[in-house]
Amino acid sequence: MAAAMTVGLLAGCSSGGESGSDSGKLTLTFGSHQSGLPKSGIVQDLAKEYEEETGVKVDFQISPDAQWRDLIKVKLDSGEAPDIICVDTPIGLASSIHMDQYSVELTDNEWVKRMDESARSAVSVDGKTYGITFPGAKMYFYMYNKDIFEDLKLETPKNYSEFKDVCEKIKASGVTPVYECTTNGWHQVLPLFETGGLWLNDDPQGYDKLNANETPLESISHLETIIGQLQECAKAGYFGDDYLSNSWENAKEAIASGKYAMTVAELGFRGEVDADYPDFGAMEKLGAFVMPWGDNQTIGVNPASNAYFINKDSKHAEEAEKFFEFLAKPENLKKRLEGQPEINAVCWPEMETKYTEEDQAFLDSYEKANVVQTSVNYIDSQWMDVGKDLEAMYTGAMTPKDVVDTVVKRRNEQAELQKDPGWAK
Amino acid sequence: MNRKKLYPWYFASGAAVLFFLLCFLPGVLGIAYSFTDWNNFTDEINFVGLSNYKRIFQGNSEYLLYITNTLLFTIVTTVAKTVAGLALALLLSRQFIRFKNFHRMIIFSPQVMSYLVVGLVFKSMLHPSTGFLNNFLKGMGLDFLAKSWLTDLKIVFPTVMTVDTWKGMGYIMVVVIAGLMSIAPEYYEAASIDGATFFQQLKSITIPLLKPVLVNATVLNVTYGLRVFDMVYSLTNGGPGNATGVINTAVYKEFSKGDLAMGTTLSSVLFFFVLALLYFIIKSMESKEVDG
Repeated sequence: MAAAMTVGLLAGCSSGGESGSDSGKLTLTFGSHQSGLPKSGIVQDLAKEYEEETGVKVDFQISPDAQWRDLIKVKLDSGEAPDIICVDTPIGLASSIHMDQYSVELTDNEWVKRMDESARSAVSVDGKTYGITFPGAKMYFYMYNKDIFEDLKLETPKNYSEFKDVCEKIKASGVTPVYECTTNGWHQVLPLFETGGLWLNDDPQGYDKLNANETPLESISHLETIIGQLQECAKAGYFGDDYLSNSWENAKEAIASGKYAMTVAELGFRGEVDADYPDFGAMEKLGAFVMPWGDNQTIGVNPASNAYFINKDSKHAEEAEKFFEFLAKPENLKKRLEGQPEINAVCWPEMETKYTEEDQAFLDSYEKANVVQTSVNYIDSQWMDVGKDLEAMYTGAMTPKDVVDTVVKRRNEQAELQKDPGWAK
Repeated sequence: MNRKKLYPWYFASGAAVLFFLLCFLPGVLGIAYSFTDWNNFTDEINFVGLSNYKRIFQGNSEYLLYITNTLLFTIVTTVAKTVAGLALALLLSRQFIRFKNFHRMIIFSPQVMSYLVVGLVFKSMLHPSTGFLNNFLKGMGLDFLAKSWLTDLKIVFPTVMTVDTWKGMGYIMVVVIAGLMSIAPEYYEAASIDGATFFQQLKSITIPLLKPVLVNATVLNVTYGLRVFDMVYSLTNGGPGNATGVINTAVYKEFSKGDLAMGTTLSSVLFFFVLALLYFIIKSMESKEVDG
């Protein structure tokens, strides 16, 4: 009798998984992290239109950012991944998720050629394209409240010591200079790796040498310098008192309230603030300057952010490909650009950008360099861990040198774990 | 009873087989894997002996901090929950309290909430400038008490332990109330006739007769404390930095990194701890029964 119960239990478990497809309507599962889908919900809106056209429903399964990378790796390895998967690119780095092994090849689709060259290379391996991506190049700046600067007669800083002066004057006027937030885990890490231009100025082949382990990461002095500068600013009170409890979701409110003067964000942040706080007038009031950590004056460019891939083991790969075709239609690209206030361009050259002439002139006046995390191995995979290390430094449990040592140690461990040839002794 | 008692064995075998296959076997396999270099990136698995264990216990490894935190968390929350639960149970069994069942329900209700929900709600309530607690304290004029509960290294761990005690004391209270109800009132009557005070009665009647209940409660609290994860993860994610990391948050991190062998090693260390502790607790319980 006990044996019969056991068999019944096991039979019940296995038949429960198949019920998704026989209800008549086809459903595609779309797994993503929170940052992978625009907050405005434009992708969900496009999916609804697609459902009205074709009857195919798209079921969005969104996970928090912190563990998405590891969660999707486990799901892919265990065969439980959704039909469509959104992950950060590039997929060609040794330390990335290797989506080429798990995804359907999409090279023959007509939209592949219409994507921007650098975006296409971020979703391709060995010339074969596996994903579709939309956001234009991602660049982070210090978005600042122009009114506060004008009232205090401040110029935008061009190097670190000017930045400190500006912060000191703002702090003296009663406003918190910088809105920083560590609870999301990623925001505090940006100054370390968006300033890759400093590394390349020292050595244009720097990234390649790091990947071949010809240059050890610990020899890059900029890391320790910038981490030390971050600590200095935190201790001086430029981040305010609550930066360890703040979260990125409250950044718009913080800037719009006028209590904070600056924060690290993309140019599209203006559109987001404007959408939530139209009375603030973000489009005119917020300006941008290049983050001057380590005296950096190069714009860090992330050529492609996140992309969608189709799971090789999906039973509905064809329908998923048709959904991608739908998303790639010019009118839908236009809807996406208009419906996503935080981006100013899509990586499809046929679409006009939303950059104003002023913005375009600003962008053109600076040199650009690829950010570290998309070019150097084993950095992006420990991004959230570095965030925690910086938190530990801010609370006094680690020194800047400890943070650098931990980053280097973790990178070496990951490389050895993955039997990277550059680390073979 | 002359019949051969075959039927208990029959009924237990189904559960025993399931337990063996789903719990015991994977556990033993896990301990076996802790002696290898099993990871997410290659299919080869090599035997590496005790090197994983050495990484935990040698040098100034962060893992020792996690083990210390876990033990500290276990001891403090066990004592706190037992004392608080006992005190509340005694209070809510007094004659002069009205609406006893209502009060008991209120105090027990945190126990039925999900750990994740409790953690997230408290994280919001404990925010230094926008959180409910600090605004309440400031409103009452007690500004000096309004601290950075979850970001000040000195008080973050006590804060986590307090939230956990708040959640768990209701259960201990309910268990102790059941135990209190089983104590015959004649003992108290006899003691009060002899002139015993409340605390003398507590020391000589209540606590000795509650010993089995308290031992059970301690076992539950200790096993929970050693395995805690949700509360710490949702309140602080082991932070700030790694200050409130416990063994299971470390296991989670290791599995996330793809270092599966290290994860199973930490789990095995935890398993041996729990085994040793429970052995001593149950041994001491048994010997009391023999004496009694």
